[in-house]
Amino acid sequence: MTDEPRLSAQQLIERLQPALSPWARVRAVTALVVGLAGAAFVAALWWTEPGPLPGRTQWAFALFTVFCLAWACYGTWLLSRRVPLFAAEHVVAAWLGLAAAIGTTALVVTVAVQRGAHPVGVPAIGVLVVALPAVLLVRARARRAALLRRKRELAGGDQR
Amino acid sequence: MTDELLVVRAQLGERAALAELVHRWRLPVWTYVRRMLDAGRADDVTQDVWLAVVRGLPRLRETDRFKQWLFTIARRSVTDCLRAEYARAAVVSHGEPDAEDPGDAVVERTELVAALSGLPVLEREVLVLFYLEDLSVQDCAQICQVPTGTVKSRLNRARRMLREHLEEKGYRS
Repeated sequence: MTDEPRLSAQQLIERLQPALSPWARVRAVTALVVGLAGAAFVAALWWTEPGPLPGRTQWAFALFTVFCLAWACYGTWLLSRRVPLFAAEHVVAAWLGLAAAIGTTALVVTVAVQRGAHPVGVPAIGVLVVALPAVLLVRARARRAALLRRKRELAGGDQR
Repeated sequence: MTDELLVVRAQLGERAALAELVHRWRLPVWTYVRRMLDAGRADDVTQDVWLAVVRGLPRLRETDRFKQWLFTIARRSVTDCLRAEYARAAVVSHGEPDAEDPGDAVVERTELVAALSGLPVLEREVLVLFYLEDLSVQDCAQICQVPTGTVKSRLNRARRMLREHLEEKGYRS
């Protein structure tokens, strides 16, 4: 019988490489982090404008915010559907997200204070913005630790 | 090394473990897909199955149920392929009633495989999973998303149809 797979295991693995490429992961995480940070920054600038803005400026701010959110959505879609993020990479991505959130919040709070915005409102939102990646980081680390524990248990069982 | 250990290592990001999983399960997956589809599409669908496995592996929580999860994905890919084929066939038969090419059906197979391919999809599926992939009735039920009673009745029907088919060909039990 000549009924055999056309692709060898090695060829099959090679064809899976684009999905496993590190650059695909970097692109996806960058799109998500930069998109969210950009949206937060533009929205904060818009919100802290001291006086009423002309219609075109309002539209421009809205357009920038939507543009950044679209990149964030694209990054989310890539990470959830196209690019697998394994446990170690989840931790790295969460650290990147946390760093970006802290940086964006610091920038936004500085700009808001300079413009005389509400002294509590912007920092409060900043705390919320930082809290989300912080929670994701804790979860990613916990998941990785659980997998490492399971690996040790199974490896111990294998050796017996 | 167990499948579960390989899955956990792959989830941690070890590429070698992922490659070992592909090596270990490539043929069983291909065999299942091949029994459900013709040779031309079996390789493409198998590749789709592995792509879906790689993409979904980080989210697999029950690491000890990799085999069932793998065949659930394979079944979904096969179902999508068959659905697309039926849709195409419906369009073709609507426009060109005599377009069927008997040459397309000429494929080298064993008698058993030929008999299997003659069974309806649902019966063929449980037969392949239960006998060729050696899965339990419970696992078949989970993969096919039907109660275990339905799997048993499909197995009975499939066995009867297969026996009738083989008897027609001159085989005697």
